[in-house]
Amino acid sequence: MTDLPRSAAAVGAAPTSFDRLFDEEYARVAAIARRVLGDPAAAEDVAQEVFLDLHRRFGDTPGAQAPAWARTAAAHTALNMIRTNRRRAAREHLYAAEPDASHDPQAVVETAETTKAVRSALARIPKRQATVLVLRYSGLSYAEMASALGIGVNGVGTRLRRAEARLRKEIGDASI
Amino acid sequence: MHPSDGTLRRALDEPMAIAAAKREHVASCSRCAERVRRISADAGAVQAMLRTPSTGIDVVAARARLARTEAASPVQRPAKRLRLHQRSGRTNRLVAGLGVALTASVVLVVSGGAQDFLSLFQPSRVAAVPVTASDVRSLAGLASYGSVAGGSSIAFEPEPDAAAAGLAAGIDAPVIGDIPAGTTGAPQYAVVSGGVVTFTFSKQPAEAAAARAGGQLPPLPDGLDGSTLSVMIAPAVVVSYGIDPSSFLRSESLPSGEAFVVVKTQTPTVTSTGVTVQQLEAYLLSVPGIPAGVAAEIRALGDPTQTIPIPIPVDLASGSPVSINGVSGLLIGDSTGLGSAVIWQHNGVVYAIAGTVTSNEVLGIARSTR
Repeated sequence: MTDLPRSAAAVGAAPTSFDRLFDEEYARVAAIARRVLGDPAAAEDVAQEVFLDLHRRFGDTPGAQAPAWARTAAAHTALNMIRTNRRRAAREHLYAAEPDASHDPQAVVETAETTKAVRSALARIPKRQATVLVLRYSGLSYAEMASALGIGVNGVGTRLRRAEARLRKEIGDASI
Repeated sequence: MHPSDGTLRRALDEPMAIAAAKREHVASCSRCAERVRRISADAGAVQAMLRTPSTGIDVVAARARLARTEAASPVQRPAKRLRLHQRSGRTNRLVAGLGVALTASVVLVVSGGAQDFLSLFQPSRVAAVPVTASDVRSLAGLASYGSVAGGSSIAFEPEPDAAAAGLAAGIDAPVIGDIPAGTTGAPQYAVVSGGVVTFTFSKQPAEAAAARAGGQLPPLPDGLDGSTLSVMIAPAVVVSYGIDPSSFLRSESLPSGEAFVVVKTQTPTVTSTGVTVQQLEAYLLSVPGIPAGVAAEIRALGDPTQTIPIPIPVDLASGSPVSINGVSGLLIGDSTGLGSAVIWQHNGVVYAIAGTVTSNEVLGIARSTR
């Protein structure tokens, strides 16, 4: 269960203006969505949606917990996209092609297949586990993850460990 | 003692966050070394799976895009409207009863004022007022003595977790320590937006309403006509176990197993203009159609600025005072045996819990909630 005062302390910031929050967090929020979706354009759509919602909910002074809210919202929104059919076209596009730097056709096909398998596995595992994975591999510290997830920092490692084991089991070593 | 898997996982990323004694143990323990190897292998594999190429993001262009979107759609965000349907049928009786109680209590509270800003208060306790179905209809009829505005803007919004719900509502999500053993599933969170419900007393519709009730409007005190009374309702955090909170609050279904919903919100603030709330209460309880028994019960509560009256439909439920960690509260038992509810107030915060749980269980939940 969440302890919001502790979360706020972890963030430790004064009330933030929306514009400053946007400047500081937009790239990170988009990166979180990208981690889930793979596609930069779809990820920016999610980031826009998150900040539009945040601005409408909390106005021009969203407060110290807004970064944590935005990061979590980005992960959830992106995960929802791959879990539902509401952006089927975008997802099919994503699965169909994830170009690699290499021009080797075989490598391109393998990369696309791997990407498809990973997104599919992310969509199948429990959302809380998928969320912690996305946040961690988007560069959040344990304290930031604790704040974003509304759990104690000591619980982050446990959740992350379980999530990694689950994802690896879900996708199977052969697909890596 | 061997550190937990979670500690070992964190040690891979933030080794200095782990106590020195634990680090030393891991360095000298072959069993832990093997665990670290497995954990590290999984972490490395997942890192490779989730790797994405970095791309530049034009934040200035992104901000301009958002500004264009906001300029094009300055309307309120779409949100699911919270509606409290009152349906017949045994399975819905508990929720329907609570819905009636809530509706009627809003009607009771919304009742007052005239020209000047006279009073601002926050009730500090809750109390039961037994009512029948016809009583509720009579009390709801009080709204026709004027106009009620603002209630339709109250919206219901699911939230992904406690942090998001707390942030959206501006109040920490409730933490429940004692969850009944029969309850399964993770908690679900939602926020009911706040709003201001304003009742404006008007002489003309009041006279018509009195005539419909078969009587005459008592003489109006000075300043009553055109007066207003506003109830400011703060956003509420809703946490549910065993059922989706929106379906529970809309009375769409009751779960087959044990389930409950916890609502936490700041105490409503009531602002009246013109006549005092006491004057208004006295007047409204004297208009035609208000059952004498209900009027007596409400008068017996004493100062209306200190009490939130909770109408308890006598044919659906029964109310009894209880103590929640030293604070007086109200236990509502559903007469069908399907469930129970409790509402109390502490330090300016109102808590309400309802569900398909026994009275003892709902009290256990309440006493472990903070």
